[in-house]
Amino acid sequence: MIVIKLKIGALRGFSYAVLISGSILMLLPFLWMISTSFKTFAEALAMPPVWIPDQLIWSNFADGWAMAPFARFFINSVVIAIATAGGGVILSVLAAYAFAKMNFFGKNIIFMILIGTMMIPGIVLLVPNFLTIVRFGWIDTFQGLIIPWLASVFVIFLLRQFFMSIPNELWDSAQIDGCGRFQFLWRFIVPLSIPALSTAFLLRFIGSWNAFLWVLIMTNREEMRTVPVGLALFAQEAGIEYQLMMAMATLAIIPIMLLFLACQRQFIEGVARTGIK
Amino acid sequence: MIRNRKRYWLETGKAYLYLLPVLVILGVFTFYPMVRALHLSLHRWPLVEIPGRREREFVGIENYVNLLNHPRFLRSLRNVSLYALFSVPLSIFLAIGLAILLNQKLRGRALFRLAFFLPFVTPAVADALIWRWLLDYRFGLINYFLRYLGVDPVAWLTTPALAIPLLVILNSWQTVGFQGLILLAGLQGINSQYYEAAKIDGANAWQQFRRITMPLLTPQIFFLAIISAISAFELFTQVFVLWVGSPGPVASALTPVFYIFETAFRRHRMGLASAAAYILFAVIFVLTLIQFKVSQKRVHYDQ
Repeated sequence: MIVIKLKIGALRGFSYAVLISGSILMLLPFLWMISTSFKTFAEALAMPPVWIPDQLIWSNFADGWAMAPFARFFINSVVIAIATAGGGVILSVLAAYAFAKMNFFGKNIIFMILIGTMMIPGIVLLVPNFLTIVRFGWIDTFQGLIIPWLASVFVIFLLRQFFMSIPNELWDSAQIDGCGRFQFLWRFIVPLSIPALSTAFLLRFIGSWNAFLWVLIMTNREEMRTVPVGLALFAQEAGIEYQLMMAMATLAIIPIMLLFLACQRQFIEGVARTGIK
Repeated sequence: MIRNRKRYWLETGKAYLYLLPVLVILGVFTFYPMVRALHLSLHRWPLVEIPGRREREFVGIENYVNLLNHPRFLRSLRNVSLYALFSVPLSIFLAIGLAILLNQKLRGRALFRLAFFLPFVTPAVADALIWRWLLDYRFGLINYFLRYLGVDPVAWLTTPALAIPLLVILNSWQTVGFQGLILLAGLQGINSQYYEAAKIDGANAWQQFRRITMPLLTPQIFFLAIISAISAFELFTQVFVLWVGSPGPVASALTPVFYIFETAFRRHRMGLASAAAYILFAVIFVLTLIQFKVSQKRVHYDQ
C-alpha cells in the first residue's frame, strides 16, 4: 500500500515538474517580450540581459505607436474582425439552418461540395482572387478584406451539427402555433444555440485578427493595414530597436489575450469539439 | 401526393434563399477562382501587359513543365516536405505527452492548459517576431543562455541548415497546446471500463497505454496528422517575419507559398504562380489521400 502511494506521489511530482517547466518554457517568450517592451534601447541590448528593467519606459509604446499609424491598424483590425466574425456567423446560421432543418433538392450534393472546399489550400485561390479584387476596385477597401471571408464552411459545419441536435418536435409544435420558418430560426434555434454561436464568433474573430497573407496582398496603402501586417512591416523598418518592436507586439497580443482569457471556456470547448468526430 | 410535392419544391426554394448569401460568396471567391487559377496556369500572364514585350498568351502545360524543372521551386517543395516530416510527428508526439499529463487530477490544470494554449491564439506575426528577437545572434536570450553554459553562440537565423529546424521548433511551440487539447478531449472520451478490465487481467501501465489508449486515440491523432500536414505545406507567415520578408539564407526557408507569393506579387507572373499553386494543391491532395488510406487500416473508431 505504502509503495503504491509512494509511486503515485512520485508520478504526481514528475507530472508537476514537467508541466511547470513546460509552462515556463511556453510563457518565457511572452514574458521576455513584455520585459523588453519596458526597457531602454541600451537595456534591451545589454549583455548579460537585464531581466527586469530599472524603470518602466512607457514611452516605448508611444514611440512605436507614432512611428507607424498603429491607431489605424487597430481600428482596421477591430472593424474587420467584428464584421467578419459577426457577418460570417449570421450567414453561416442561415446556411446551417437550411442544412440541418430543411429538406430540399440537391441538399446532400451541395453539402458535400461545401465540405470539399475545405480541402482547397487558400494559396490556390489567392492569385485569381487578387485579380478579382483589383477588377472590383476593392484593393485598400474594407469590403475587400471582409466580404470574401464571410462564408466559412467550417462554421456552417459546426453550427449544422449543433442545430441537428435540437429536436424536430419543437418545429412541429411551433408550426401549429403559426410560427414561420424564419421566426422559428430567430426565436427558437438562435437562442438555444448561443454557446455554439459564441464559439463560432470567437474562432472567426481570432482567425480574422491574426490573418496575414490576404491583407498583405490586398492592401497597398499603409492606412488600410491590420495589426499583424502593420507590425510585420514595422518590424522590417525598426532595425534593432527591439524594445519598440516588442512594445508593439505586446499591444498586438493583448486584445487577443484578453479575449481568450475572458472566453477561454467557450474557446477551449469549441476547439475540443472540433476534434471529436 | 401532389400537395407533398408542391411542399417539397416550396421548401427547396426557401432553402436556397437561406443558402444564397453563402453560395454567392463561395461562388465568387472559391469556385470561380478554382477554375480561373487553372485557366491562368495554362497561360503566360504578366500582371501588366506591355504590347510587343510582355503579352498574355496560351502556353499549355509549359508553366508546369518549367516549374518541375525549376530548382528554386523544387527546393521550396523539398524544404516544406522536410518541415512537414519533422514538425507533424514532433508536435503530435509532444501533444500526446501533454494530454496524458493533463488527464490526471492535478491542481492548476486550467492554468497549465492556458499556458500551453496561449501561443496558438496569439498572432503568428507577433509570435515569430518574439522568436526573431530571442534568436538574435548578438543580443538574443537564447545565445546568452548558450554562452552562459559555455557553448559558442549560434548564428540561428543566418545558418541555412538551421532554418527548417527553427521553423519546426517554433511550430511545436505554437501548436502543442491546441493539439494537446484535442487529444485530451479524446482521452476523456475513452470508456474507463476498458482500463478496469485491463487491470483485472493484470495489464501494467505501459500495456494499457499501448493496447487501449493509443488505439482509441487514433481518430484524434489521424485528424491532427491531416490538418497539421496541410497547414505545414502552407507555411508562410513565420518565414516572412523571421527572415524579414526574405525566404531565409540562400532560400533555405523558401516554402511553396513563399515561392508563389514572390512569383505573383514581386515578379508579377500570375500564370506561373497559379501553376505552382496547383502543383502544391496536387501534392497536398495526394498526401491527404495517402493518409486516409493508411488510416483505414490503423484508425479504430470506438462505437
